[in-house]
Amino acid sequence: MVEWLEVSLRSIGLFVITMLLVRIIGKRQTSRLTFFDLVTVIVIGVITAVISLNLVANLVHGLIALLVWTVLPALIYLLGIKYKAVRDIVQGKETVLINHGKVLEDKLMEARYTPEDLLSQLRKKNAFKVADVEFAVLEPTGEVSVLLKKDQQPVTPKTVGLNVGLESVPQTVIMDGNIMDEPLTAIGLNRNWLHTELEKAGVAPENVFIGQVDSAGQLYLDLFDDAIQVPKPKTKELAWATLKKCQADCELYALGTKHPEAKKMYGKSAAVLADAIDELEPLLKK
Amino acid sequence: MTVSNQIKQTIASLQGTMATLKTFAAIEENQQTKQILQQNIMCIEGVIEDMEKRLGVLEFEEPQYKGF
Repeated sequence: MVEWLEVSLRSIGLFVITMLLVRIIGKRQTSRLTFFDLVTVIVIGVITAVISLNLVANLVHGLIALLVWTVLPALIYLLGIKYKAVRDIVQGKETVLINHGKVLEDKLMEARYTPEDLLSQLRKKNAFKVADVEFAVLEPTGEVSVLLKKDQQPVTPKTVGLNVGLESVPQTVIMDGNIMDEPLTAIGLNRNWLHTELEKAGVAPENVFIGQVDSAGQLYLDLFDDAIQVPKPKTKELAWATLKKCQADCELYALGTKHPEAKKMYGKSAAVLADAIDELEPLLKK
Repeated sequence: MTVSNQIKQTIASLQGTMATLKTFAAIEENQQTKQILQQNIMCIEGVIEDMEKRLGVLEFEEPQYKGF
């Protein structure tokens, strides 16, 4: 056989075989490479290259090597899922580099980490001061994960003691000027509602690039024509403000009236509304 | 503006807000949020009823200011 023909035939065959074999190993290879994964990948690559370039005399020997290097890792991964001991050997354990804010030098040595390496890895995680770090761990993939000290962590509504309303996923109901019926029905709305809302905003559906409905049924629009200003949905804020106004009104009436029974009724109403305002604040304001 | 007129206005505002909250409650999928909304709608309904009763008394006392 002509040599170039043989090489191309081998390459095509190996291409298909490798593709199928790599599927056996599974998906985890591509997402995060541990050192062991890296070795396997390189060996598989080299074997494939060598066979397809006709550098091994015996084709079968090459294929056997390829098979072993794909089936064995796949087996080990399967065992690793079942037994932690296997997992620790193959994938390695994570190494704690900083604990309770103190750098553990012996662990650093174990991981062959120089202080510069540690600092640069910490900087990648936005921790420029070692003093800010409470805990840092070297993952088997070589990445450093950092837990900042409590007072250095970003503020969340919970730490500030804020009460926030729940909000589920918004649905995209208009895309590129086309009305999407499926997401619309998913939140229990229909085209009729959408047309009414669009009319309220004063835009034609063809002019809408993206239209999203949040869980409270408010429609956010982005138009093709950026010169047009679309009114932002304010229904929630408006409802909240009106409630506050009504509550203030009730208090005013309570002060104004001379009738004791009416005074009591107004006072009670004001209190009820104040409670409602408190409860609704996370839903309507944030 | 007479007192009864002011109260009428407040009642109208409350009714408007209640309607808005009702639409939110109808669309809301989260059960907890829905419950909070419905609870508060009931509270506001009670307030509206009280105010309407008071409005009736006021209009009875001063029928010359009775309007819409």
